[in-house]
Amino acid sequence: MDAFLTSRIIADVLGGLTNGVIYGMVALSLVLIWRSTGVLNFAQGAMPMFATYVGFALLSYHFGYWLCAVAALIVGLAVGGLTERLVVRGLYGKPEINPIVVMVGFLIVLEAVAAAIWSSFPRSLPSPFSSIDWQLGGHPVSLSPFTVYEIGAAIVVMLAVAALFRFTNLGLQLRASALAPEVSRLLGVRVGRLLTLGWMLSTAVGVVTTILVSSNFFTGLTPQVNDGIFAFGFIAAAVGGLESPVGAIVAGVSLGIILQFVQDYLNSNAQIIVALVVLIVALMVRPNGVFTKSSLRRV
Amino acid sequence: MKLGDVRQRSAVSLAVIIVATIVALLIAPTTRNGVAIAIALDVAVACLATLTFPGLRSSHPVVARAALSLLGVVAVLFVAFFLPSASDFNLATGAAMSIVLLGLSFLTGASGQISLGNSAFMGVGAFTMAIWANHHATTPIFVTLLISVVAGALVGLLLGLPATRLRGPYLAGMTLAFAVAFTAILGEFSSWTGGDSGLQLPTEAKPPHWLISLFHSGTSPLTTSTLWLTDISIVVAGVAFFFMANLFASRTGRAMRLIRDNDVAAELVGISLPRARVIAFVVSSAYAALGGALWTLIDNSVSPPTYSFALSVTILSLIVIGGIGTISGALIGGVIYAYSTNVISWIVNQTGLNPQGNFASQLNGIIFGGLLILTMLFAPLGIAGAVRHFWHRARNRS
Repeated sequence: MDAFLTSRIIADVLGGLTNGVIYGMVALSLVLIWRSTGVLNFAQGAMPMFATYVGFALLSYHFGYWLCAVAALIVGLAVGGLTERLVVRGLYGKPEINPIVVMVGFLIVLEAVAAAIWSSFPRSLPSPFSSIDWQLGGHPVSLSPFTVYEIGAAIVVMLAVAALFRFTNLGLQLRASALAPEVSRLLGVRVGRLLTLGWMLSTAVGVVTTILVSSNFFTGLTPQVNDGIFAFGFIAAAVGGLESPVGAIVAGVSLGIILQFVQDYLNSNAQIIVALVVLIVALMVRPNGVFTKSSLRRV
Repeated sequence: MKLGDVRQRSAVSLAVIIVATIVALLIAPTTRNGVAIAIALDVAVACLATLTFPGLRSSHPVVARAALSLLGVVAVLFVAFFLPSASDFNLATGAAMSIVLLGLSFLTGASGQISLGNSAFMGVGAFTMAIWANHHATTPIFVTLLISVVAGALVGLLLGLPATRLRGPYLAGMTLAFAVAFTAILGEFSSWTGGDSGLQLPTEAKPPHWLISLFHSGTSPLTTSTLWLTDISIVVAGVAFFFMANLFASRTGRAMRLIRDNDVAAELVGISLPRARVIAFVVSSAYAALGGALWTLIDNSVSPPTYSFALSVTILSLIVIGGIGTISGALIGGVIYAYSTNVISWIVNQTGLNPQGNFASQLNGIIFGGLLILTMLFAPLGIAGAVRHFWHRARNRS
């Protein structure tokens, strides 16, 4: 293999990895909510977008990037919790289209309100790291300090979520209330609170994603910043199976890498089409996702 | 029903029709389009007379539905006749939208599925219409409309086959992905779809000569192409309404409602779940394609950005606010769509907002999204359901 082809492939894999961890995190945040509350959150892109706008409004008061990011995270936790308490709580046990419709409505409202307050022009966030690619033997390698920050932050978030679920008492309660809410309630787990916590966590993961995406020099923050990412994130979650956090991340990263090759060798327009084909094929082969054990539905 | 009763009623309605015709013909020379008024009155009276037959709804439901559809079409045609041209245009767009809403209402109301891909299916119809018209300019309008419907049904079948294995959120997500990918797909086939600029119809639709000569050529407002297009939309919507009303009440429709309420029970009584789901999905995408094809006809052109994901969200809001799963809800949604722009700009004027400001331009989304949430939380069957609820309560009280 000649050097040019090698560097092109490396660049594609690295570039795809950067997008892939973003898709993986969106998929993860969808799975977190789906597993605990059985709601597919179509506002999963819009809620963190709103929180990020609020947090980074502090920039005009001369707060720094990291302080704004922390503020956005806190607002995200609040937005997630309030949404669960005020909007979603009345929807549990209703026909499955009701939460879908309500969350689509919430998506419209949040995007419209954000555009009304902050306008729909892209707002550039100060990037803490340079976006200029490093060179390897004269070729750019699709890896810059910023993308390293992106991938690193994503890995930290994923490990943190995994550790929370696996090693803490809280995580055990979260898993229990998702698996068997009635039994958990009998055993003294405050299931209602944990559902709220699940939505808070998921929105916080979303805020991290949104900050990473919109601090990129090339995109900036817009009310629609998460629309396309949501579509890819959902596809990853559905391919991986909405039940499986690990599946979501693996599917997200794989999708990112595949799509990067599609963009490089075809064009960027073909990305969503290829993703759609991947989704249809995956769902036809395994309707409940690649990574879930197929389960019988209880009548 | 006694035979004498039937004879009496027929005689009365015939007499009314004759009187209405004579009155209209007397007025005809003094007003323009007396003939049109006479025909409208006659048909309306005939339909009303048919509908008042006792027991007709249970003995001949298809006749009753036909009479109701015809009455509705004639009434709206009559109103459209006197509206200004801009308002007619809105009405035509709304009528086409109500066809799309009928399809989605059937999909959800009958089989409990939900689709976020209606903008794309509308787009399939709209672009089929434009592409066909550009290659075969002589094909009559109604044939081209049918071809668009078939195209929509085929694409619906293609997507419906994997969709049948999916439950709620997976199907919604898959149709969402299709809606998002649709504009990209259009871009991939830009030599057919005209790329970013879209397509123009080769000729503007004009009313046929016999119609013009029937209604005093030249001066009559019936000869304007806007009114003609409005008439086409209303008539097509009436036909779509008639078919949908029958489908809802048919064996297939009843089987699907059972699936919605309890799919396990439906399977146990021998209904094929995948087959019913595919049928519902194909019907809804064919209806969406018909609406899109009408839009192309009304606008005389088609452009890709119209059929982006945002349109799917609008469609969903309209049917939920109107009343998801009901036929009347689809008609209410169509009316809302036709005049929502006017109402919102009226609100902007009344409240003194800056019409070019951020808030005014986002008011549409805020109002529709808010109504969508409130409707689903507090009146899941929308306006149609709320009206029905209060109607029953009022009747039970008296």
